[in-house]
Amino acid sequence: MSDQRIFTRYRADEIKAEFQNVEVKKFKSNAMKRKNALRKIIANLTMGNLNEMSYLFPEIINYWKIEDDIEVRRICHEYIRKLGPSKPKNANDALPYILKDLDNRNPALQIMAIKTLLMVPSPDYVDEAFRFVSGIINRRSSSSDVLKTSIFALTQLDDINHDRALPLLDSLRDIISGDHQINSVKVAALNTLYTIHEKNLSLPNLNLTVDASYDLLTILPKLNEWDKALLLESLICVCVPQTHNDAYDLIDMVEPQLQHVNTYVALNALKFIIYITNYVDHISDNLSKKLSSSIIALLNKPPELQFLVLRNVILLLLSRESLILNLDVSYFFVEYNDPIYIKDTKLECLYLLANKDNLHNILEELEQYATDIDIQMSRKAIRAIGNLAVKLDENSADECVNTLLNLLEFGVDYVVEEIISVFRNILRKYQDQYKSQISTLVSYTDSIHESDSKNAMIWIITNYADILPEYLEYFRVFSSHILEETLEVQFSILNSSVKFFARNISKETEALCIEILKCCTEEIDNPDLRDRAFMYWRLLSLLQSPKSEINVEVIKDIVDGELPLIELNTKLDPAILEELELNIGSIASIYLKPVSQIFKQIKTKQLPSSSVLNQNRDSINIVSNENLIHEQKRSQTDRFSDINHYSEGRSIPSKPSRRNTIMDDYDKPAETVNQLKGKMRSSNSSSSLLSRKPTKLMRKLTIKKPF
Amino acid sequence: MINGVLVYTGKGELIVSKFSKSNAKRSISDIFRVQVINNLDVRSPILTLGSTTFHHIRSNSRDHLWLVAVTRSNANSGAIWEFLYKFDSLLNAFGLDNETTLKEEFMTCYELLDLMLNVDGVPLDTELSSVSAKMSTKPLHSINSPSDSSLDNSSSPLSISKFLNRNNRSMSVDTMNTEPSNYPWRPNGIKYKKNEIFLNINEKISILVSKDETILKAYVDGTVDLTSHLSGTPTCQFGLNDSLSVDEPNYYNSDDNGFRNQQNIPRATAGTVVLEDCKFHECVSLDKFNRDRIIKFVPPDGHIELMKYHVRDNINLPFKVTPNVINSRSRTGLDYRITLKSLFPSKLSANDVVLKIPVPSSTVDCKLNVSNGKCRFVPEESCIIWKFAKYNGLTENKLSAVTVSSNDTTQLMLQQWARPPISLDFEIMMFSNSGLVVRYLKIMEKDQKYRTVKWIKYISRSGSYEVRY
Repeated sequence: MSDQRIFTRYRADEIKAEFQNVEVKKFKSNAMKRKNALRKIIANLTMGNLNEMSYLFPEIINYWKIEDDIEVRRICHEYIRKLGPSKPKNANDALPYILKDLDNRNPALQIMAIKTLLMVPSPDYVDEAFRFVSGIINRRSSSSDVLKTSIFALTQLDDINHDRALPLLDSLRDIISGDHQINSVKVAALNTLYTIHEKNLSLPNLNLTVDASYDLLTILPKLNEWDKALLLESLICVCVPQTHNDAYDLIDMVEPQLQHVNTYVALNALKFIIYITNYVDHISDNLSKKLSSSIIALLNKPPELQFLVLRNVILLLLSRESLILNLDVSYFFVEYNDPIYIKDTKLECLYLLANKDNLHNILEELEQYATDIDIQMSRKAIRAIGNLAVKLDENSADECVNTLLNLLEFGVDYVVEEIISVFRNILRKYQDQYKSQISTLVSYTDSIHESDSKNAMIWIITNYADILPEYLEYFRVFSSHILEETLEVQFSILNSSVKFFARNISKETEALCIEILKCCTEEIDNPDLRDRAFMYWRLLSLLQSPKSEINVEVIKDIVDGELPLIELNTKLDPAILEELELNIGSIASIYLKPVSQIFKQIKTKQLPSSSVLNQNRDSINIVSNENLIHEQKRSQTDRFSDINHYSEGRSIPSKPSRRNTIMDDYDKPAETVNQLKGKMRSSNSSSSLLSRKPTKLMRKLTIKKPF
Repeated sequence: MINGVLVYTGKGELIVSKFSKSNAKRSISDIFRVQVINNLDVRSPILTLGSTTFHHIRSNSRDHLWLVAVTRSNANSGAIWEFLYKFDSLLNAFGLDNETTLKEEFMTCYELLDLMLNVDGVPLDTELSSVSAKMSTKPLHSINSPSDSSLDNSSSPLSISKFLNRNNRSMSVDTMNTEPSNYPWRPNGIKYKKNEIFLNINEKISILVSKDETILKAYVDGTVDLTSHLSGTPTCQFGLNDSLSVDEPNYYNSDDNGFRNQQNIPRATAGTVVLEDCKFHECVSLDKFNRDRIIKFVPPDGHIELMKYHVRDNINLPFKVTPNVINSRSRTGLDYRITLKSLFPSKLSANDVVLKIPVPSSTVDCKLNVSNGKCRFVPEESCIIWKFAKYNGLTENKLSAVTVSSNDTTQLMLQQWARPPISLDFEIMMFSNSGLVVRYLKIMEKDQKYRTVKWIKYISRSGSYEVRY
């Protein structure tokens, strides 16, 4: 290694001196030293020392001329790539050398040169890049790697000059339909064509006939993993089945890829199949099993990929309910060591998967999470329990409410706050069912500090004032501090005080109401709040004027009207779901937002129309296997004569129910039983050390995480 | 797709920045550093700012490098994270996974990226054997040695295979034969003096037991790792005792010559295993598997993960943990009584068994008594660690512990303690949690007649083995 560290900031003349040193003494080790000096340049460029390094351009050119070593070349190219955009003059000086590399016999150098040409946005560079790429694509004679690189380079050239790239697209079509020897070149051509069509609004969507797609899919098994995924990706919305049989055949060809270990391939196969299911009239339950088990297996990946898969599970659950997928809830139980983003996502999956049958299991889990150390996690779990109560029917709600009440006893502030917040929603859906619990809820009035739950508590107190004898006491806890509250809480206090007055006109309520109105109009600066207070005030003062037709009943109607029944709005717009389904695995699928909301200049993906396109996604039947074999026999095509064989060979064994297996099932008597002997000893030496030094002990105790 | 790749040290020093598009600004590396590396509360492995998205992973190595991909379009996250993980394993293979070496040899990293990504940032090829064939420097761990995981260094009787590796391996690639091979992952003309194939069945069992000893979930994630040193272009085939292939009518007479395990593993004891799902390396012919349930492949040279599978039914649980935790008589401590019992055959033994028992964070001391093994209280992590270097089959051990809390602890604090689950770690050689057994392994090569030495090894480990109490 070198005598000096490479990754430090250097000045240009320091490196220059080093070069000169190397030149003076002609040693064998010089090549190594020279390389080290060159590496220092790249290291400095990485660190952002650009200006200083730009003085070394002559040295770089010098070594470009005399050195044949591939690493030196790579450094020279990297130098131009990093500095070229900001120093166009230098870049132009280097152009001849790049062109020389472009004509080199070594494909690696040629590829390097193309990449450099694309990185520098000068007209000369672009010109040369176009000349070379179109030459290669039209001749198709050079090494397959160079050809592939040239094809992929078209995407970037198209960004720069669309009109000039356009004529080359025809050559790409020829490559796809022709019998080019190397399969991965075909995939490259298809993918490039697809990307360019996707990017340009002026071009129509790419379209391939079903037959051409068959031909491409037959090479699927011979491709490497990345090419497989690219091929599947590029056929979505491009290949449109015209009959139901087309669709079934396409699914059969892609189905094996669900078992690929690479998430990219497996998810793309899934995406392709989901896309094609828009063109079938039934799905075999076998396929649905395959899709589900493929997803489950992907959950055995590193956390980031698990996260992606889980987000897409949410997407599929939203768009297809549980029609296509049949997933066991236990896979979505949170593990203690899961990263927080996985815990969050699993929680959402659990919520979506919940139904009458599995509710008990899910609630038990959620109750566990509600006492999690992570506050956000705990809140989300409680929120999920509350939402389940609203989502499912009355019987299930009972169970949810019991769980919440159990948790209330846990007594930690944020748990209580969150429970109160969700209870408001439950009470709005089931107005009379939980009256007996109200007194328990309001007894937690003092432990609430967060504005959302304060709002909820105020709402509960107001709504159930008729069964709470001392409701004004509870209300005063909030109303007496109105000045310190957030705006939303101030609004609720104002509204509630007027409601109290309207319902029950008494001295007490009047005094309270006037106090609040005064406070809102005189002491609080927010115009919205003030305006609303004035509005109420005028409304109430109309009561006293004899001429007006306003009476208490009318006011009650205005301030204390019937609230609409709440419904949880978990459904996304079907059009967005359709688009997201076509983007499974992409960044948009993680955020679950339409692509156009995150990225600019992208065509919105839509299902291409066809005579067999299903208008309603939920109308697809899932047909069990036996029926299907019968049907497949009828619809057998020559091309896939082995489908039959395949579907008969797999009788899916009935799964024994595995929930609630008691551990004793697995128990065996131990041969050796080691009994406890001796007395208990104090644990370890370190703690006794600690207890001798009280200062250290204090520190130990204080660094511990608060609960 | 991937517009740029950034590699930072664990502390956030940028070492490699390689962009494939000119419009990517250099300041982008600072943005990531500020938004993610210096941000203590990162809640997502993906960050989108404007239309720029960062996907990141931490490398598996000791230095925990940050590997980051920058994209500017709605790219496929699956592709990006898969790519980053492959990139990480290649860095590891080339010995670039630590800060010091990477700072010297970062140009190798540029070369790797040049080979792995095309002009548009789409991954081209990430297979170690084919990438390293094109590299100017050779990987640190020769691709010929089996995985560098700790297994091969362990003192198990099977490490004999390592000894054999050293002596008999000599490989040459016949470079005269430049005709492209039919298999993108395997060049033509590989020759070995001695042909060997190693099959490792690695299983990780995950289980979650609730307070009332109900098993909430139990499953096994397994992988079949293959290391092959074979001449020519052989076709390999192996069969498992999974229920679907065993149910086939021609199960017993399918392959008389290859099925040499038949006597050793009668059907009754081995049983059959329901594979919920399996995933295969790119070299396995998936059509064939779907049709005939035969796993047939032409392996790339060196080490690969051939197959992944998932099993949920009839799992052999290796350990049972019975916790009993009550409030102690002093009222501010907890009284733990835990029984750990091994359920695997007494002929086998587990290594490195570690039971981690969380205690309330206010605990200052624990009074411990164990029937065997080593046990200590770790105040930094608020837990008791109970360790066994070796644990025999069908053996039961007990632990009894009383925690002593600091003086300011109240009973309420103990009640509100979240009780993280007890977790168990272990490793058992030649034991299969799922009951999966390799029935046969055949190697066929058209042109060359040769004998192959085959090694099959089973290792069961703990995944997330959690018990609530």
